[in-house]
Amino acid sequence: MLTRRQFIGTSASAALAERLFSAPKDSKTPNPELEKLADAALRRAKKQQATYCDIRIVRLRDQRVNLRMTTERGTGRLLSVPGVAEDSSFGFGVRVIVNGAWGFAASPVVTAEEIARITNEAVIIAKANASIQPRPVKLAPVKAYRDRWVTPHEKDPLTVSMAEKIDLLTRVTTEVKKNAKVFSGSASLNLRSEDKYFASSEGSSIQQYLLQIYGNVDATAVDREKNISRSRSYVPTQAAAGWEYVPEMNLEENAQRIREEVLEHLAAPPVKPGKKDLLLMPNHLMLTIHESVAHPTELDRALGYEANYAGTSYITPDKIGRRIASEHCTFIGDRTSPRALGTVGYDDDGVKATSFTIIDKGIFKSFQTTRDQAHLIGEKESHGCSQADSWATVPFQRMPNVWMKAGPPDTTLEKMISEIDDGVLIDGRGSYSIDQQRYNFQFGGDAFWEIKGGKKRSMISRVSYQARTPDFWQACDATAGPSYWRQYGTTGDAKGEPTQINSISHGCSPTRFRSIDVILTD
Amino acid sequence: MITREEAQKICQQALALTTFPECHLTLTASEQAYTRFANNGITTASFNLRHNLSIVVTRHGRTGSVSINDLDPASLKGAVKQAEELAAIAPPNSERLPAVGPQEFPATFDLDERTAAARAPEMIPHVKTIIDAALQEKMVAAGLIERSHRVTAIANKAGLFGFHRSSDSQLTTTIRQRDGSSSGWAGQPSMKLAALDSALLARTAIEKCKRWKNPQKLTPGNYTVVLEATATGDLVRLIASGFSARNTEEGRTFLSKRGGGTLVGEQMFPEFITLRMDPFDPRQPSSPWTPDYLPSRPITWIEKGKVANLAYDRYWASKTGQPPTPAAFSFGRGGGGGSLIMEGGDASLQQLIGSVERGLLVTHLWYIRPVNPQTLQQTGLTRDGLFLIENGEITTPVTNMRFLESPVRLLKNTLRLGQATRVRGLEGGIMIAPALVAKDFPLPSISDAV
Repeated sequence: MLTRRQFIGTSASAALAERLFSAPKDSKTPNPELEKLADAALRRAKKQQATYCDIRIVRLRDQRVNLRMTTERGTGRLLSVPGVAEDSSFGFGVRVIVNGAWGFAASPVVTAEEIARITNEAVIIAKANASIQPRPVKLAPVKAYRDRWVTPHEKDPLTVSMAEKIDLLTRVTTEVKKNAKVFSGSASLNLRSEDKYFASSEGSSIQQYLLQIYGNVDATAVDREKNISRSRSYVPTQAAAGWEYVPEMNLEENAQRIREEVLEHLAAPPVKPGKKDLLLMPNHLMLTIHESVAHPTELDRALGYEANYAGTSYITPDKIGRRIASEHCTFIGDRTSPRALGTVGYDDDGVKATSFTIIDKGIFKSFQTTRDQAHLIGEKESHGCSQADSWATVPFQRMPNVWMKAGPPDTTLEKMISEIDDGVLIDGRGSYSIDQQRYNFQFGGDAFWEIKGGKKRSMISRVSYQARTPDFWQACDATAGPSYWRQYGTTGDAKGEPTQINSISHGCSPTRFRSIDVILTD
Repeated sequence: MITREEAQKICQQALALTTFPECHLTLTASEQAYTRFANNGITTASFNLRHNLSIVVTRHGRTGSVSINDLDPASLKGAVKQAEELAAIAPPNSERLPAVGPQEFPATFDLDERTAAARAPEMIPHVKTIIDAALQEKMVAAGLIERSHRVTAIANKAGLFGFHRSSDSQLTTTIRQRDGSSSGWAGQPSMKLAALDSALLARTAIEKCKRWKNPQKLTPGNYTVVLEATATGDLVRLIASGFSARNTEEGRTFLSKRGGGTLVGEQMFPEFITLRMDPFDPRQPSSPWTPDYLPSRPITWIEKGKVANLAYDRYWASKTGQPPTPAAFSFGRGGGGGSLIMEGGDASLQQLIGSVERGLLVTHLWYIRPVNPQTLQQTGLTRDGLFLIENGEITTPVTNMRFLESPVRLLKNTLRLGQATRVRGLEGGIMIAPALVAKDFPLPSISDAV
């Protein structure tokens, strides 16, 4: 139980976090003070007969700036509602294996005494768990590392003045609201950092500093006579990067574009449903990849470990070596791609980041794995897919960045459109839903254009498509060349019980699918 | 866990640190213990403690917000200073209202001390009961048992102070055939961990799993459905966002009238549909204050089929001359659920099934996502037990299907209600809901998922 003394703390813990995680930028070794704190867990665990122990000491920081502008009905006055917030969270979690079972406990009070106490809690939990344990936990081997890894960046976005961020969003939102027919405009920036220290009883000591930047612009239009409202969004690539990335987002230029497109969307006629060819842009297809390729190739799902919530998978271990998609489909699991949200130096098992082929020209090759599951399908090492979303949560198998290889250089967007007689081009994210084995899905989008007779025509509305995953990926007959390849992030990937959130990126080129069921929605 | 006096002291300490005229604090502390199981063994268990202090300061209409989990005096001082610096450069908020002064918050009955303190010795026997039952049937069990204990305190410089403790627990299980050919689910949220009935849940999930073996494909289309209470809650709770007064009056909800105005007072639903909130209902935890820090009170949204109220936050109430709505959860901010109650009837589930000539029995729903935020059309899938009803009896297990429906149309098409109970869907929606029979439920495609 947390006592009041522990709750309030006895030292300046914010200052402690600052001291623990600060280090010269080019330093390659963790702060010795972190190593000393971690030692309190490792020593206590050993004394309690734990066969394995790791500790993560983590500081999360989250800076959010947003601005919404609406026109007040009656007065025409422009109402601005800003939000300026900074959150931080600092604490540690200890994981142990005792009697062949995992135990975990966590606390926000980062002192050697509390670390030792919480290690005892984790041991008690592991011992209790061991009473219902069909087989002992077995970890794939991993090298011991002593390292420090930092998201490549030039300027730390959290050190940039808030005034500069507010100024940018004011310009962007004002741009959206320049057309009085647009009901509301909003924009936001979200800057996150994670200081993470990992130490294990197998000799690893790893300090990491991870950065992520997200931004978006939204426009909403309302037709009161028809009683409908429509929106249009611009979501630039969410990136693991420094502030130098922000100008590349082109927020202002795209604010002008969505200002006009939201009105086009409001007036757009509904789609005529039926079988159609789809041309899916990377900022849309990324989510289809996420749901129908990345999730079903998670080993824990395939083996039933997520059966009570996220579900199992239509891709089972016996599918290794079998065709599950067309020859145009090659997917890589990866934690090393520049600027991708899932890119790290090491995962939360202390495994060095790597990349691996999931699907090669339509043939299923390998699952995403962690140290405690790789052996269950006869693999010798983990693919480094262990992750926890906080110091207070348990690491488990989370997807890495999963991306689709681009097609041949001479496959252009124009060429793919010219080969479609009756189709829809879909841009951006909309509604998305998929079953618990990842067979049946329905996806919407943010904006839709009709393709008729090989030409992109005007915008249409109320589009979703439904498909069965293996049929859908078999229906893929072209993906554009490398110059079209883009990666986009998703920041709210939920899995596990209690639910944890993950951020990863999915890259691809515009890709074509033949004869898919397109439905008319409300 | 932190006491009222201790929370008050921390808040006073933080409030004294700011020179700004307005400062609002929200202090939370939580303790969570859970055990997950799968493949007939425990996979993860955790005990964790968290706390957080949110500091929101305002001067000249400009607001800065900082939240921290470092509560020592030096960290508090740093955080208040940081919030003040943010406020100094933030643009003014056109919709800001003066701070709320002291309030008398009602007592709610949201805490069970035994649940709040429960640890592995009280939780693992439930897990064992379920796994043993699955093993006996040569089946495979997965699931979660968890309990939480949460303290929230609010305070501001205008003299507001509130303190609230709550606890909750739940047990859910999915039991599958070893060859993956069938699956059954059962779940129980409970204010009291001691009231969790693991034996009953195991029996229910096993029975579903046995009955759902070798499901048959039905032609997609509109069907009469019997939604079990969890499935009703999965969908009906999503109606909440439509009651935002502001969004409705701005023409953006299902309650907006074409050309302007609202549908308040209209008989939109059958007379037996009543939807309300009650923060004092002992069956589920709630909050003694609204998101605007006013005292919570019971409120009815749909009264015997008629749209009774919209949810006015303080700002929109001040613009429209209405009183702010005392709802414990904000409808306009994507909230809802929580203390939401849909009144039920007297019929048992068996009686509901018996009343259907041809239809489908739905255990629960999964991956529900909004398709149209205005009509509230949603899509999602049936899961862990779908059965054909013919002449009042379950005859055939049916392959899962995707649905495309709004809770608004569902309630309009509802024919009869079963008994109401507290439910918690897979995606976290908690409310009190009845099983129901509804006609014309659109199921446009088949899902091969088991």
